[in-house]
Amino acid sequence: MSFWELYGNKLLVAVGVHFLYVFASVASGFVVALTLGILLSRVPGIAKVALPLISVFQTIPGVVFIGILFLYMGMVPATAIIALAIYAVFPILKNTYAGLLSVDSSLLEAARGCGMSKIQSLFEVELPLAMPSIIGGLRMSTVYTVSWAVLASMIGLGGLGEFIYIGIATNNNALIVAGAIPAGIMAISLSLAIDFVKRRITRQGREVSLK
Amino acid sequence: MIRFEQVTKKYGDSVILDNLSFEIKEGEFAVLIGPSGCGKTTTLKSINRLIEPDTGHIYVNGKDISQTDPVQLRRQTGYVIQQIGLFPNMTVAQNIGVVPKRLKYPKEKILDITRSLMDMVGMSYEEYGHKYPSELSGGQQQRIGVLRALAASPPLVLMDEPFGALDPMTRNSLQDEISRLHKKLNKTFVFVTHDMDEALKLADKIIFMENGKIVQMATPEEMLENPASDLIRTFMGKRAEGSPASALTAADFMRPDPVSVYKSRGIRECTEIMARRQIDSLLIKNDDDTYAGVVTVGGIKKASKSTGTIGEVPVSENAVSYVSESAMESFDKLLNTNSSYVVVLHEDDTIAGIVTKTSMAKAMADALWGDGQ
Repeated sequence: MSFWELYGNKLLVAVGVHFLYVFASVASGFVVALTLGILLSRVPGIAKVALPLISVFQTIPGVVFIGILFLYMGMVPATAIIALAIYAVFPILKNTYAGLLSVDSSLLEAARGCGMSKIQSLFEVELPLAMPSIIGGLRMSTVYTVSWAVLASMIGLGGLGEFIYIGIATNNNALIVAGAIPAGIMAISLSLAIDFVKRRITRQGREVSLK
Repeated sequence: MIRFEQVTKKYGDSVILDNLSFEIKEGEFAVLIGPSGCGKTTTLKSINRLIEPDTGHIYVNGKDISQTDPVQLRRQTGYVIQQIGLFPNMTVAQNIGVVPKRLKYPKEKILDITRSLMDMVGMSYEEYGHKYPSELSGGQQQRIGVLRALAASPPLVLMDEPFGALDPMTRNSLQDEISRLHKKLNKTFVFVTHDMDEALKLADKIIFMENGKIVQMATPEEMLENPASDLIRTFMGKRAEGSPASALTAADFMRPDPVSVYKSRGIRECTEIMARRQIDSLLIKNDDDTYAGVVTVGGIKKASKSTGTIGEVPVSENAVSYVSESAMESFDKLLNTNSSYVVVLHEDDTIAGIVTKTSMAKAMADALWGDGQ
């Protein structure tokens, strides 16, 4: 029996599960990060303390964190999604914050001078101008999360990691490759897709002035 | 229209506005001027509440503005800044429509306003409306910056050194345009600058400030005739003392012996001369040495001839002055035409020299800092 006949279906399911983990965790991480980033950009004083603290948290190995969360929440998909989402937050948060702060102060003054309220200035001027930076963070998070999602199988939650772990445990190189290659393809194609979106919303003419 | 009553603003120990009281009448073009740190920008920004004074009251149209909603106040007050501040994520048309959109004007009305405003500064909606600010030159951007301030037809427009970052040529033409717009639209303009020439050119009333106080508030003529302090006299430079600058003639600033050729020279020879001297036009002389005109590289290309004499190529229009004309007049010609220089002629129509932008810059430097010893 060929490899495909033996593992084909399982592999397709694993790719699907893996993708769902990535999608759910990056999406929820994005919402959290965007909100936090906007709030922190309003109070740079607090952000100067909060961002380094969050980045220290980021250095805790994913294996440790997913393990701890497993002890409290058990073997449910939410465990993996929450753990991955927390890791996805930081790159987006950092880029959102930096992108919002890099908006030229003369534009903020112009927005105020034109009678924009703070909310209007945020949504019509600051966020659109910070968007390239925010999406850059999103892409970074997505690529990381594709590789971190391999850890989900460590607590028996499937995904492409399952192939890799079983491959290592049984000394079966074909299984390792069968897990690694789709993960690589997924990371690259998601990254390209996000780049495409970025180009679409970063309209012509704007890039020049952002440098 | 605008009334300041005992307005004071401090940052820490330094007093920025010192018990300031004055009035600007409706329809006036008021220019705030003074050395850096004199409080002119703070004065301007307190009119639309970008800066709040510590004590005192400011009235706009009889209403104490501290009692109004700042967002509403700013929508009824045009505002132009030196950094231009067009939103790079919006097209030119969207930038102009920013305030009308806030005021919930219907879409067609915003479009009508945008078109007619753009026509007023000679930038057609069809050509520029959908461009992004980064695709425009600095002068065009600030034209749009001014239009954005005018779009909701506010009775009052505030301008904070709007032309300070532009090159002298562009600044000059924008000054003319703003002056024209002021006469046409009958609005109150408050304009901050540190350039006395700009103030004298534009203002109905100049408000000269120093250390948070008004030193003198007068029409340009009054201020020229009777400056209230030595500082103001310094600001006016030579203009105040019988302006010897106007006694200088074109001959004092021209570059003598420009490259000129007789009509009978061959075209190929002439292009050769241009290439060697790295110039893009030549002065053409008749056989009796009188000036015949200017031939440019473009003109030669258009004539699409490579043989024959240069006299067969049609000459292009160029500004001309005589040696005895005042320097100021020849500078005006230089600024108001598309020529890159003015040809200066002797009384008998022979070529004496040319006045270029470099000669002009030198003349301005001399007028500002003395005669370049």
